[in-house]
Amino acid sequence: MEVSDSIRRAQPLLGTFVEIVASGAATCDLQEAVDEAFGAVAQVHRLMSFHDRQSDVSHINREAFVGAVSVNAWTYQVLEAALELHRRSAGLFDVTVAPLLQNCGFLPRDANNSDPTALDPSAESAIAANAIELLGDRCVRYRHSGVKIDLGGIAKGFAVDRAIDVLRGRGVVRGLVNAGGDLAVFGRHAELVHIRNPKNARQLLCVVQITDAALASSGRTFDPHHSARTGASAVFDPNTRRPVSDVAGATVRAPSCMIADALTKVVMIAGEAATELLRHYRASALLVLESGEVRITPDWQDAVRLAA
Amino acid sequence: MSGWIRWTAPAAVMISVSGPAYAVQYLSVEDAQKAAFPSAHLTEVQAGRVWKASNGGIFVLDHVIGKHLYIDYAVSIEGGRVRRVDILQYRESYGDEVRSPSWLAQFIGKTSASPLKVGSDIRNISGATLSSLHVTEGVKRVLAAYGSLR
Repeated sequence: MEVSDSIRRAQPLLGTFVEIVASGAATCDLQEAVDEAFGAVAQVHRLMSFHDRQSDVSHINREAFVGAVSVNAWTYQVLEAALELHRRSAGLFDVTVAPLLQNCGFLPRDANNSDPTALDPSAESAIAANAIELLGDRCVRYRHSGVKIDLGGIAKGFAVDRAIDVLRGRGVVRGLVNAGGDLAVFGRHAELVHIRNPKNARQLLCVVQITDAALASSGRTFDPHHSARTGASAVFDPNTRRPVSDVAGATVRAPSCMIADALTKVVMIAGEAATELLRHYRASALLVLESGEVRITPDWQDAVRLAA
Repeated sequence: MSGWIRWTAPAAVMISVSGPAYAVQYLSVEDAQKAAFPSAHLTEVQAGRVWKASNGGIFVLDHVIGKHLYIDYAVSIEGGRVRRVDILQYRESYGDEVRSPSWLAQFIGKTSASPLKVGSDIRNISGATLSSLHVTEGVKRVLAAYGSLR
């Protein structure tokens, strides 16, 4: 099939810039496909935003301790994946760190916090992702009061996957969806992705080649309006309840962007000890240590281009 | 442990993201208008900034200017609500540490199977997530200023 056209669009969604590139046959209406793909991303944004009071996430954070809450199938799917990751990572991937992130200013506090224990760090230590019960039939319940989830570490990747599904379903031959650096590509063509140096956002560290795969990175917060200098890590180690300090950044390649997105957090915390987990999810990783040293899983060295 | 490959980046390998290295033109103003209001006729009511669509919609072109970033974006409003927001042009420029394209090409060409076109080929960057907060705030300002335009 001959590729006759290509379009490239960007919209501000998920707190970042989401870019979609689509190439397809002449019969394929690329504009409609891309609009529908943005629609899928916007839908994930609406369902899983911690900030939006109408989202599924806000809904269950308010009410799932009182009784079972019914959520959208996509939200349920992300929760299932999050709990599986929690189990397989021995608790390192944990979507219940929201109160901790609120304490440190990475997430806004509630306007009317009816449960003061939710903001007391000592009270949170007993709470982990196993406090979330998935009851089937898209129903969620919390086992403890004060449980609060934030899907920020996984939903962006999920949104990319949904947008990719739309493009594929619309007959797009070659596509790319990039949500602020969490991205996925399909089609025969290899795509080059530059990895930003987590210690200095002005610099690019290396080039990675991916084909029919997803790639995500985690590192410091970065606001280019202020400085290229990166801030503190927004990834917290659930064991120490402190921001990760040994690892400056992690990039993960995986078959799905949701898994790549989530695994960057585990690699940030566990470093090279994440090998088994990466293997389970058929993922590869690149790790930038605080010292500036870079480490790569052996299966990935061919795709990472360094100018050595 | 576990056989990870250790690689220490020589300082010279690190590419500086220079202005021309990362600028993306997504849509022209005309294309953005067509995408937002495909079957409506648009009339310019504020030169280069605000258009009214024949279906009652409003199209506003705005910019966010920061220290290192300059973004053109368009907000389409219908019935007092934001219908869509499109990024027209995105530029990432730090103003300093600009390296010449030939310097860049020097080592990229060596490792790439297909030679990269410097300037146009740094398209996908992964790393610390860029915040879109300034655009989000801009959309709110645009809505407050033009949302009830008749």
